[in-house]
Amino acid sequence: MKIAITGIGAISAIGSNCAEMLEALQAGRSGIGKMRFLGSTHTDIPVGEVPYSDAELKQMAGITDEPAPRTSLLGIIAAQEALRMAGTQCDVFISGTTVGGMDLTEQHWYDYAQSKAVENIRLHEAGESTNLIAHALHQPFTFVATPSTACSSALNAVMLGANLIRSGKAKAALVGGAESLSKFHLNGFNTLMILDRQPCRPFDADRNGLNLGEGAGYLVIEREEDALARGTHILGYIGGYANTCDAFHQTASSDNGEGAYRAMKGALSMANLLPAEIDYVNAHGTATPNNDLSESAALLRIFGENMPAVSSTKAFTGHTTSASGGLEAVICVLAMQHAFIPANLNWKNTSEGLIVPVAQTLHRPIHNILCNAFGFGGNESSLVICAKGRELSETVPTPLHPKLAIEQLPAEDGSVSRYVSPAEGRRMTLQTRRLVAVAKRALDECGIEKPDAIICATQWGCMLQSMRFLQDMMDYNEQQLKPTPFIQSTHNTIASLIAILTGNHGYNATYSQGERSIDCAITDVETQMSLGLIHSALVLEFDEEVEKWDEVLALIGDRTKAIARAYVYTN
Amino acid sequence: MEQLIEQLKQQIIESLNFEDMTPADIDADAPLFGEGLGLDSIDALELIMLLDREYGIKLADPKAGKAIFKSVRIMAEYIQANRTK
Repeated sequence: MKIAITGIGAISAIGSNCAEMLEALQAGRSGIGKMRFLGSTHTDIPVGEVPYSDAELKQMAGITDEPAPRTSLLGIIAAQEALRMAGTQCDVFISGTTVGGMDLTEQHWYDYAQSKAVENIRLHEAGESTNLIAHALHQPFTFVATPSTACSSALNAVMLGANLIRSGKAKAALVGGAESLSKFHLNGFNTLMILDRQPCRPFDADRNGLNLGEGAGYLVIEREEDALARGTHILGYIGGYANTCDAFHQTASSDNGEGAYRAMKGALSMANLLPAEIDYVNAHGTATPNNDLSESAALLRIFGENMPAVSSTKAFTGHTTSASGGLEAVICVLAMQHAFIPANLNWKNTSEGLIVPVAQTLHRPIHNILCNAFGFGGNESSLVICAKGRELSETVPTPLHPKLAIEQLPAEDGSVSRYVSPAEGRRMTLQTRRLVAVAKRALDECGIEKPDAIICATQWGCMLQSMRFLQDMMDYNEQQLKPTPFIQSTHNTIASLIAILTGNHGYNATYSQGERSIDCAITDVETQMSLGLIHSALVLEFDEEVEKWDEVLALIGDRTKAIARAYVYTN
Repeated sequence: MEQLIEQLKQQIIESLNFEDMTPADIDADAPLFGEGLGLDSIDALELIMLLDREYGIKLADPKAGKAIFKSVRIMAEYIQANRTK
């Protein structure tokens, strides 16, 4: 089967649609500048902000009264464009995000109980911000999912969508991601000391960190035969893809780029392409000293001396985190359609170990593109986009065997410290240690050392650490914040910790979709098993009991619940 | 100086969550990174924040920490020379 891309839509600091973005990319015009709408106290930090207020975005999105996170507004605008272009209806919507409605939570932190702010509480949840986009699109969606693996979220959305089409579970999928700027992650990245006060310079010898950006990017993907039958214009094809875990460190990438290497190799292998057949790599290229060196090492391992044209487009848009994979996949399709390679802006000098990117826009035909998106915890995803269709295998129905379910372990009987040593668990909360222990014990009892996939399902994510960081950020006016709670706050923290502690380079993901999170995780397992992509999987369903968030949830008669259930699947 | 070293050890234990350790377990002259306590890049960021919160010392460049965090004693000497509170 061949999977065609028939629609693209995007919004970012360099344009509110594909045409505007194309014009800026070809003209070499960056969208990085002073923040206008975020309202952070760190006004010296440049950002790639979409140049419209929330009210203006609402108007563009056709949303009137109801509260909406900025993430959802950006998502609606980009998704509408992709759907319009494709001219078809989609039955599946998969949209990555991590920020979700964090912006609303920040705005109403001190006045939730007043006025209409209580309506916003549920929108904090990543899955709920996706539901809001889904609702506004008026499509016959039968499946909606929110992968939340930090900066690789949107590419993981593309992968799940492609797998669902290949396995016959979807006809046409709208896939990508959306993420607004938030004070939360601006401050979080600031505690990691990786935000450049100047426009970022990916792959440059003197690079000094990233600029955060915001936006959304979506693809409509469907079976080639459906696209041909409709007579629609095919923009390109999904050639191959892979997600792996670097399994090295929560925030640092390995020196040899092992995870990135495996992701790119996996994507090329699925596409049945040789490295020499790739003519453009849209790199993750955040411009942090660590990422660019590690990604260069991985690129050199794949391509050796025959390095194709490489550029990071983050000096145009900023790092749009969970949206980046979707946004950059759209940029890749534009590059292919208009036969140009976007410049890696601001690059001047190379130094040892770094690849040399394309400094000026190149005009030449492109046949095959590799697009990278890497996230916290070493969550590495690569996507190959091709001008000509690549044959992808279809489903072979295989039964799914749930081997075991393990529930929350009591901390007191020593079972937690048996699976997580004091040194390993030093930065973890007791809840986190319990979750990792539950997962490790389930694997232990099934005699599976390294499952092919580790997938988490959670409604609220790692809420304890999120609330710690948020509370400090609000109370200390964005000053003197500790990095550890931020590092542990992403939804995918637990899945990546399990991978790091067990040295597992396999598929790694987290879904946040309210009470349906676990269904999304199981759908992913079933689909990948039916395609023969994996043969074993650990699924961990979790949520945390968080007093601070319960104070807020009480306003809508709800509360958080501690959940820790591990399932091991084999076929 | 010795008093500052003891206080600093306690602060390191708390800020880096070494739950089961006491100040006596930390050798003031042992390296903090690599061997010794075996700290990593996240710990370095926590120590930079500790200098800021407790002693009013702001480091703008994370690489500057390398020279300062060689041992508890070297860190204490740096604090004594540069503290603003």
